[in-house]
Amino acid sequence: MSLVIQTRGLTKDYGAHRAVSGVELEIREGEVFGYLGPNGAGKTTTIRILMDFIRATSGSAEVFGLDSRARSQDIRRRTAYLPGDVALYDRMTGRDLLTYFANLSGGVDPRHVDRLSERLRCDLDQPIRSLSRGNRQKIGLVQAFMHRSELIIMDEPSSGLDPLMQQEFYALVEEVKADGRTVFISSHIMPEVERVCDRVGIIRKGELVAVEDVDSLKRRAFHRLEVHFSAPVPPEAFANLPNVRDVTVQDSQVTCTAVGKPDALIKAAARFEVVRLVSHEPNLEDVFLSYYGDGEPDAR
Amino acid sequence: MLGNVFLKSLRDQRRPFTWWAIGLIAVTLLTVLFYPSFQDSTDLNEVLGDDNSIMRAFVGDVEDLTSPEGFLNSQLYFLLVPVLLIVFAVSAGSGAIAGEEEKGTLDLLFSHPVRRSVVVLHKLAAVVVSILGLAFLIWAAVAVGALMVGMDVSLVRAGEATLSGALLGALFGAFGLAVGCATGRRGTTIGVSGAAAVLGYLVNALRPVADALEPARFLSPFYYYIGADPLVNGLDPVHAAVMVAGIAVLSLAAVAAFERRDVAV
Ligand SMILES: Nc1ncnc2c1ncn2[C@@H]1O[C@H](COP(=O)(O)OP(=O)(O)O)[C@@H](O)[C@H]1O
Ligand SMILES: [Mg+2]
Repeated sequence: MSLVIQTRGLTKDYGAHRAVSGVELEIREGEVFGYLGPNGAGKTTTIRILMDFIRATSGSAEVFGLDSRARSQDIRRRTAYLPGDVALYDRMTGRDLLTYFANLSGGVDPRHVDRLSERLRCDLDQPIRSLSRGNRQKIGLVQAFMHRSELIIMDEPSSGLDPLMQQEFYALVEEVKADGRTVFISSHIMPEVERVCDRVGIIRKGELVAVEDVDSLKRRAFHRLEVHFSAPVPPEAFANLPNVRDVTVQDSQVTCTAVGKPDALIKAAARFEVVRLVSHEPNLEDVFLSYYGDGEPDAR
Repeated sequence: MLGNVFLKSLRDQRRPFTWWAIGLIAVTLLTVLFYPSFQDSTDLNEVLGDDNSIMRAFVGDVEDLTSPEGFLNSQLYFLLVPVLLIVFAVSAGSGAIAGEEEKGTLDLLFSHPVRRSVVVLHKLAAVVVSILGLAFLIWAAVAVGALMVGMDVSLVRAGEATLSGALLGALFGAFGLAVGCATGRRGTTIGVSGAAAVLGYLVNALRPVADALEPARFLSPFYYYIGADPLVNGLDPVHAAVMVAGIAVLSLAAVAAFERRDVAV
């Protein structure tokens, strides 16, 4: 399978600060690749080097096998892009903006644009400055999908979208994948990446610390779980359950961390009357500390 | 109007252009309509004083303030027209790249298959076309005013003087564009361009007062704009060529500076 994006030792310094450090990425044709990392990790910087908006301090990047600097024009002809914190032309309407960008890339099928904006429920007739953040993001998304590009690069694409639109966005990504096209998404939200991506590269403090199949990531995913019962429960009932750790039992409440399948916990809880079940997604820093913590795995 | 960067940039200027057009027409027309009350007050020439008077820094090297050419040069072409065109040009030129960069829309623009050089040149072309449009309106206002008050002035020469002003404006527009391309900061760009314009004006205008400035005069864009008195003598081809060459050099510098650097988020 051929590589759509390949970086070698990609490094970007801002003064003394190293924003991206020796990143080696390989993104295969037809996959949905998630670029996961907390804020400030270097995701946007990496992406903007790929698009030739900024230049690497050292290292190189190829997209479609073309050098990202020398052949940027050819790369951009085949790539669509959604910036993070997308800034649009405020005074234009969504429709004018989409028409303009369609013209710049040599034209797109207007019916496709209509279909996309219907699915994302875009308001294309208001000046963009009067739209909410979520509604601007949706126009940015239509722009990214309307070109039917071979490669779509999106920087934190679902930020600002309400849950319903997020689902629609995931559906769009899946359709692109079904087409055999390639998607590169950056995100700082683990569940989102788990939901749509095939593989994930994890970046932290400018360094690519792991590249994994989403399936293997899921197997190790952990959640903080809280189970509330109608009456106090005996602590022994929750001791030594497989895939469960950090258990504390307090009267009628059990809190614990479930790693991978929470099946045993659910079965143990089912013996009592459950009034409430709360699952907290771990924040990304915790995930990193637990999986890739500075050198040694977290002992929890 | 959305077919390419040039047309889109022109379209973006609709609003400022309209207001500038109204303002420039009004100022020009009102000035020319004042001519009859100037015409007969030949004693006005006394304020000019001798050849080295400081007054000449504001009205230029005129002989007779009350002749049609002397009036138009001193009241319009020496200061008002070039300054207004330059203010418009610098504002538009600095907004072209640096303004869009500060708004953060360049990323989306450059994600499409457009070259940086093409975007810079399209945007410059839009600025130049707007300036030519404003200059045409100034000329039209002079023509209408002259007809209304029966001023005996060659409209061809007035056109040449105004075109010279448009070239000067375009030169500063290109300067603003180049500084904006190099710095990416609109405020800085406007400051630098404004300072350059004031300096250029003073070097040319203070020459009658300060002999030491005489050699430096050839460095001032204002000298090439009005030094050969286009309202009386017509557009000097060499002076016009110098301004056009300046625009070309600045646009190349703009492209070179912009292609080399990182685009800010
Ligand atoms: N133009 C810039 N100048 C200086 N530092 C920058 C600039 N852009 C990004 N950085 C720094 O580089 C690091 C990576 O930033 P970024 O790529 O935006 O992270 P992410 O997109 O993962 O949140 C951050 O520490 C950020 O402060
Ligand atoms: Mg970012």
